[in-house]
Amino acid sequence: MSTTPVPVTTTTASPWLRIRAVARRHAYVLQRAPQRWFDVVVWPVVDAVLFGAIGVYFSRQSGVGDRGVGFLLAGILLFHVVFQAEVSLATGFMEETWSRNLLNLLVTPLREVEYVAGVVLFGLAKLAFSITVVSTVAFGLFAFNVSDIGLALIPIIAILLVVGWAVGLIVIGLILRVGQGAEILAWGLLAMLMPLSGIFYPVSALPGILQPIGKVLPLTHLFDAARSVLDGDGLPWDELGIAAAGSVVLAIAAAWFVVRMLATFRSRGYISRHM
Amino acid sequence: MRVAAVCDTHSMPSAPDVLRARGLVKKYKRIQAVDGLDLTVGAGERVALLGPNGAGKTTTLLMLLGVVSPDAGSVEIKGHHLPRHRSEAAAHVGFAAGYLPLPERLRVGEFLRLFGQLYGLSDPKPAVELGLNRFGVAHLADAMGNELSSGQRTLIGIVKATMHRPSLLVLDEPTASLDPDVALRVRTGLNRLCADEGTALLVTSHNMIEVERMCERVVFISSGRVVADGRPAEVAARFGRDDLEGVFLHLAEEREGA
Repeated sequence: MSTTPVPVTTTTASPWLRIRAVARRHAYVLQRAPQRWFDVVVWPVVDAVLFGAIGVYFSRQSGVGDRGVGFLLAGILLFHVVFQAEVSLATGFMEETWSRNLLNLLVTPLREVEYVAGVVLFGLAKLAFSITVVSTVAFGLFAFNVSDIGLALIPIIAILLVVGWAVGLIVIGLILRVGQGAEILAWGLLAMLMPLSGIFYPVSALPGILQPIGKVLPLTHLFDAARSVLDGDGLPWDELGIAAAGSVVLAIAAAWFVVRMLATFRSRGYISRHM
Repeated sequence: MRVAAVCDTHSMPSAPDVLRARGLVKKYKRIQAVDGLDLTVGAGERVALLGPNGAGKTTTLLMLLGVVSPDAGSVEIKGHHLPRHRSEAAAHVGFAAGYLPLPERLRVGEFLRLFGQLYGLSDPKPAVELGLNRFGVAHLADAMGNELSSGQRTLIGIVKATMHRPSLLVLDEPTASLDPDVALRVRTGLNRLCADEGTALLVTSHNMIEVERMCERVVFISSGRVVADGRPAEVAARFGRDDLEGVFLHLAEEREGA
């Protein structure tokens, strides 16, 4: 029997190794699970076609020209940034529960933050692919060019990613706490925020009772900022600042929440639900 | 009659400890799963953690691995304290359980390489090949995880747990529901691993014959407490039984009568 020494790197030196391993694990899953492409490509394309067509129809009816189409397509395209960021993180974690891999991971040197970084890393790759496809569809079918938003697109997308990851962490925390019953929130939580965040319309279009809720959501201010840029009014830094501050507060709250839920998970022995 | 703890670990040859657990306590709602448990495992030592269903074995293992946090007590692995240094401690430990499936949508080789990297192997391929050969399952490298039999899954789980040459290998029911020939292959592979690399073993099992063949020390727990700790023959003799199965049945009857 050979006892050739196997090179082992130290745990402090190998976070990147572990982050890459997590990202690669999820790449294998996507490669072998065609149904996962629905979240990545099919739904975003369906939404782009649907909202683009609605925009064209109402623009013709009201005679406002292409502005309506641009608002709707920019709204759905940017919404898919936050949605993909959130769904990638949440379903990445859910994959571990579905395949009963959680205990295998929890006994390795993998740190929680490294796991999240690995899933986020692969999520970014998926997001880049998804947004490229949807942007191409929007441009090809409706002559909408998302790059018309210009450099303002960079901070807008950065804030959308932070919000998406924060909501993903909240979903993971809820799954850790209550189990698989919370899985629907991976898709449902953002769907609930969608109408309140004024993705396609200013928050003033909401019923009066819902407007205060909409105004405290960072996404509302972000989509207002995007519409302002599309209108040619320049980037409203105050709206962007409110959105950025709100997203940071949300991210801190989400990180605190998931850490607390993980402590509860360990303390109450909820791993038994996944063994 | 409740048995008093029967411990004779002082007569065991001393070795530097890879695992030290002191005063572990865990209560789930009204169930006292573990109640002041002390356990040490020396370097290269082969220890079985035994007890009837519900004795607290799996909860103990999960606390030792840092997956469940104890209500009280401390765990130290190779000098790394849990939970603060869980990641560093985990690098010295391998874990496999008969009940754990392999993740779907991964080939065996992919699964092993990914876990090799999680355990800090910069190039896991040699360790994967060595592990697969050691347990006689090299032909499974390209199989999908969900195509394996339960015995093959167990063997691959043990390969995963040993690739990084851990100081301590923790196995929960590794041969449960395995054919005798596969169980023999598991035992042979583990014995060879422990002999070659000086790996300490902490194993739970309901198969007392297997335990007597594999382990030089047994720790019986009942109602979350250590009730016996020593060499298999000595523990059996102290309970006035012929073998470990007699001790096990005695403790199970006592638990039912409590």
